[in-house]
Amino acid sequence: MYQYDEIDRALVDARTAQFREQVNARLSGALSEDEFKPLRLMNGVYLQLHAYMLRVAIPYGVLSSEQLRSLAFIARTYDRGYGHLTTRQNIQYNWPRLVDIPDILDHLAGVGMHAIQTSGNTIRNTTTDPFAGAAADEVADPRPWCELVRQWSTTHPEFTWLPRKFKIAITGSPEDRAAIGVHDIGLRLIRSKAGEIGFEIHVGGGQGRTPVIAKKIRDYLPQRELLAYLTAILRVYNLKGRRDNLYKARIKILVNAMGADCFARAVEAEYEAVRGRALTVPVEEIGRVSAFFAAPPEGRSQTTPPAAPGYDRWHGVNVKPHRVAGRTIVVIPLKAPGKTPGDIDADQMDLVADLADRYGLSEIRVSKEQNLVLPHVDESALESLYTLLDGARLATPNADKASDIVSCPGLDYCNLANARSIPVAQQISRNLHESGLDAVAGKVTIKISGCINACGHHHVANIGLLGVDKAGQEVYQLTLGGVADGDAAIGKILGPGLNAGAAVKAVIACVRVFAEKAAPGEAFTQTLARLGAAPFKEAVYGV
Amino acid sequence: MKTITANRLTDGRVVYRTIDEGWSENATQALRLTPENAETALASALEDQLIVVDPYLIDITGDVGDFTPTGRKHVREAIRLTGPSAGSTKEIAHVSIR
Amino acid sequence: MASNGVIPIKKADCLELTGDISPVEAEQAVRGVPRVNIRFSGFKDGRGFSLAALLRRAGYKGELRAVGPLLHDQVDDLKRMGFDTVEIERRDSPARIRNTGGMNSIYQPDPGAPLNRASAMHQRAVTIRKARAETLAAQTEGASPEEILRVATAEYGGRIAMLSSFGAEAALGLALVADIAPDTPILFMDTGQHFPQTLTYRNRLMEHLGLTNLRTLKPAADQVEAEDPGGDLYLTDGLACCDLRKVRPLAAALDSYDALITGRKRYHGGERGQLAAIGFDGERVKINPFAFLSREAVAERYKALDLPRHPLIENGYASIGCWPCTAPAMEPGSREGRWTGQDRKECGIFDPARARRAKRAGAIRLIQTEPRRLGAERIA
Repeated sequence: MYQYDEIDRALVDARTAQFREQVNARLSGALSEDEFKPLRLMNGVYLQLHAYMLRVAIPYGVLSSEQLRSLAFIARTYDRGYGHLTTRQNIQYNWPRLVDIPDILDHLAGVGMHAIQTSGNTIRNTTTDPFAGAAADEVADPRPWCELVRQWSTTHPEFTWLPRKFKIAITGSPEDRAAIGVHDIGLRLIRSKAGEIGFEIHVGGGQGRTPVIAKKIRDYLPQRELLAYLTAILRVYNLKGRRDNLYKARIKILVNAMGADCFARAVEAEYEAVRGRALTVPVEEIGRVSAFFAAPPEGRSQTTPPAAPGYDRWHGVNVKPHRVAGRTIVVIPLKAPGKTPGDIDADQMDLVADLADRYGLSEIRVSKEQNLVLPHVDESALESLYTLLDGARLATPNADKASDIVSCPGLDYCNLANARSIPVAQQISRNLHESGLDAVAGKVTIKISGCINACGHHHVANIGLLGVDKAGQEVYQLTLGGVADGDAAIGKILGPGLNAGAAVKAVIACVRVFAEKAAPGEAFTQTLARLGAAPFKEAVYGV
Repeated sequence: MKTITANRLTDGRVVYRTIDEGWSENATQALRLTPENAETALASALEDQLIVVDPYLIDITGDVGDFTPTGRKHVREAIRLTGPSAGSTKEIAHVSIR
Repeated sequence: MASNGVIPIKKADCLELTGDISPVEAEQAVRGVPRVNIRFSGFKDGRGFSLAALLRRAGYKGELRAVGPLLHDQVDDLKRMGFDTVEIERRDSPARIRNTGGMNSIYQPDPGAPLNRASAMHQRAVTIRKARAETLAAQTEGASPEEILRVATAEYGGRIAMLSSFGAEAALGLALVADIAPDTPILFMDTGQHFPQTLTYRNRLMEHLGLTNLRTLKPAADQVEAEDPGGDLYLTDGLACCDLRKVRPLAAALDSYDALITGRKRYHGGERGQLAAIGFDGERVKINPFAFLSREAVAERYKALDLPRHPLIENGYASIGCWPCTAPAMEPGSREGRWTGQDRKECGIFDPARARRAKRAGAIRLIQTEPRRLGAERIA
């Protein structure tokens, strides 16, 4: 994985020192809260219901074991012993003190990490396939490009005060696991007829209040031109995006207002003007960055069939094929029955870091499904790994299963939320396990957001729940048919809002319909398309 | 009835305005306000920029020393008052609170 | 009446723009105005950042001032966007002494600054490119032209070009490229002052060798019109003429290439006496396949290849460039006869500092060529 050089270190250190001064200026009164707020946000610091929240960037979801141990250290020293993994492949701490945050950032800088632009109207952490560099179906590894975009977008002097936040996702596989269809910019690595690597460019997707699937504005862009093209898109958006209405400020609104063709023409014109040597990625730099992401060496195959109880089921669900012989990808779901989705305590972090060192080339990934992934596990170590994970409640066989629930922190923590997400997720999880439904149902995604900002990605869930505030009461809207990856789709509302208890029952009922009516191997959306919403409606509303 | 709440600047903790125009994490010390004197009290609280962030009024009911948030934001304010109703904060045993 | 986004202000030499002006409108409005204020409605209004960069790109050279309720924390970024000054308007603004960092490195090229600093990716690339060139130079010391070009095309394929003046010795290099990598772009600077024989020879040679990728570089018509309307600049300032007709067009064209094949040889003498086969000029790699050939070996190669020769060689010219600055030489195969009577030996296309200056000059040509009827343009 990428290692900082002196330039990266100097830039991150300077930013950390700058933020320390800004915190002091706020404490002394030299900065008002109105002025300090956007500055703290672009350094990942929110003020939530009970405390500050610090969101630490995990660039494109890639972590070293050393970095994960540092995250555990921070959780123990400055927080309450745990962290929460987010749908942008980041981690957030719910209880840090403002006065400690500069020290936390210093610790992070020491292991090549930061919290820069994890919030604010800036370019956020670029997300990608958690299996990048390991997936068997990859056209090209997206991570070098994620890193180049990270550097280009970090402390960009022009794009720090955008109309609204800005999210970029890159996929390197035809089977998109990065949800590029619902990003401000979605990039797909493709190979041209001449065999050259380039990007297919999608713009204007997003979730939130107005969910939109991104439009393709370019079939092929040579890879070295990426930063020039991104500059052109961001410049058009920065100048023309709406700033008068928070809810109409995302690029998707601009793309819809201009029309995708007209928007594409504006971008192409600016691209022609801005492109040139300074923004063309030098071949040497592509080589330098790519060298950090070299393919892992071959592993050893299993010699004896594992006999540990539960191993086969775990292997069938949580272990994925790797492109290199003797290696496998192991998903570590943070979704034990009844647990808070995405939360991981400091001891578990340390354990996973140790296991990565022992069996997985010291590398860990965070997925947008709020799970951890060991991307390069030696196949011969799978049984030992399973036993140790199981002992720490980290071997629940539910990757991509119904109980692999995605959930935002909701009204228990978040200042923006209208309804609680975590208790609803926990109750659904318990019911799925206790009823045995989780084991029999096929792949189905359940995602819960506590407000319309859609951090829980409910729009693109097969079964989505959106918490709303209805006259002071928490009410949940149920949507069906959303898809995050590949052919992204926005879910449709099934019927009237439900209270928390009814929402839990409704989700379970929908999973049951799917489990009972799905043809063998059928995806949830296929079953829904074949049967229509009626059987689900009947199961939920009795009509 | 109303009281004033905010988050403390240095650590973000939930605090309530007290009778002596201070701030306390202890909700039992929260000031009681009538609709008539609420705005004046808020104006004074808003001057404490270096102690708290964005103080605001909330609706409450109950006796002195024991109140319950009411009104449209009652769920949110109840959660602020008593802490998260779910999540690892409640589940993790070895919590070390600074 | 002010048009949208343009606020006329009283001071004679200053124009104030707001973020809602269209870039095209802004570019027209600022022409010739000594100072432009860009007003920010609030410190979160980021439009002025992009606007400043666009005005700089369009050639605005006057003072750009950012005005509004901005933060001290934004000053560094504003300067990188092309602002000269920042006027912070805040009520009760307590003085804040802030360490602005003075960063030596930047992740992005400065979008609006007239003095482009190399971004981190280019700093790193240059370090690697230099080290790699040194390794290859050591490997190819004393090697044959074929070997040198093979090593170079393997390393720099797709970003390598050959510069050819189609002068006296050009044919040899072209033949070598045709032999080893015939699709290599051949860059020819049509200065407008070549001997007609050179142009004829160029076409003949391309065809004869089967090279198809000719790229003709011409000086920008508006620049010629402004700087050398009579076509006689060479009489008064030979350096400026080379700048206009060679250095600037080449600097623009070279953007796409990291390596250049040259026809330079050690026996040319002067600074070329120490030439390596593969060298680095601070930005690009120079491939000199003929570096080690003797004058005799060059002559033998010509003979063996039986190539058409530049017609002027018969007339005693050794090194052939533009007609005004080329004279017959006493010693064949030398650079004698170039810039006779001038105190120089090179046109400057291989001088990176000059190339950079030229590139900046190219970027500001709008201002230089625009007639100075500025008062009428100002919006009032």
